[in-house]
Amino acid sequence: MNENPLPSIIPDKEWKKIQRMLSKRSLWMIHFCTGCGAMEMPPVMTSRYDMERFGIIPMATPRQADLLLVTGYVATKTLKRIVRVYEQMQDPKYVIAFGSCPINGGIYWDSYNIIKRLDKYIPVDMYIAGCMPRPEAIMDAFLKLMKDIDEGKANGWMRYRKYYDQYRRNQMRIFKRWDE
Amino acid sequence: MKAEQIFKELGLEFEKLKVKGNTLPRYKAEVKPEKLEEAIIKFKSNGFNHFVALSCIDWIKDEKFELVYHLFSYKEKEDVFLSIFLPRKEPKYKTLRHLFPQIETYEREIHEMFGVEFEGNDRLGEFILEDWDDMPPMRKDFDTVAYAKKKYESVPLIDEGGEKE
Repeated sequence: MNENPLPSIIPDKEWKKIQRMLSKRSLWMIHFCTGCGAMEMPPVMTSRYDMERFGIIPMATPRQADLLLVTGYVATKTLKRIVRVYEQMQDPKYVIAFGSCPINGGIYWDSYNIIKRLDKYIPVDMYIAGCMPRPEAIMDAFLKLMKDIDEGKANGWMRYRKYYDQYRRNQMRIFKRWDE
Repeated sequence: MKAEQIFKELGLEFEKLKVKGNTLPRYKAEVKPEKLEEAIIKFKSNGFNHFVALSCIDWIKDEKFELVYHLFSYKEKEDVFLSIFLPRKEPKYKTLRHLFPQIETYEREIHEMFGVEFEGNDRLGEFILEDWDDMPPMRKDFDTVAYAKKKYESVPLIDEGGEKE
């Protein structure tokens, strides 16, 4: 007989609320610096804007990270790596598309090698417009993402599971082969 | 040895280029494709032992590709551009990677971006582009807007069953 029964007073729904409240306060971030966006990250990380006061720290590996930051344009070659990084991350995971290039192509609107919209290939929870966005905009996006997580709106990882076939179909239209 | 003297010994016509803001002398000469190897060996043995770059230009109206071999001498502080012209329909040249090993990488790039064939270079495979399925993209007759529309705009959005725009 179980001597320490689970506290059945708190229902499952409330547990998820508590879980979300805790996870929004410790977002570990991996930034996939594909292009120019990496330049705006040092002020955000360091003492000037100091994102660590919100519990966000840069993390070295995708398996330990909750938040994927795609900074700058995404080439077809990069997309394969981004998908691979994204699939390595553990649930719950969130994606921020950073700058105008992952939103609609930006200045690479006519390029032969830049995918235009990131959300056709992986789900995106928050966009930051601008070329480049200022650190204030990045902080604002982090706070909005935290609010969304708290309210249960940032559920891109659930969408990726649910519509996995469609995402994979779109990805395979760009890649000729996957195992490389 | 000065570049002018080497050009005279090789019997090549050359012109001195004027570049605004750059005081180092620069020379450009057009070489016949079969004479190029000999010319580069001559320059290399006379102090021009830095191979700077190999670039390709698509002269679509003349139906030609121009390959420019760019050499530099640290001793004389002189730049030399040796250019050859290849027919655009069937661009083919031999590899020169035995003279400078870094030429191999440039040849790989030019093969991928312009479709120029370099005989003897066995590493002309996929290099920068991945999963490429069209003509070489740096050619002037490649329509990049049409390609981007065909490939990326036709990818459908994820249908989540919600309200449509």
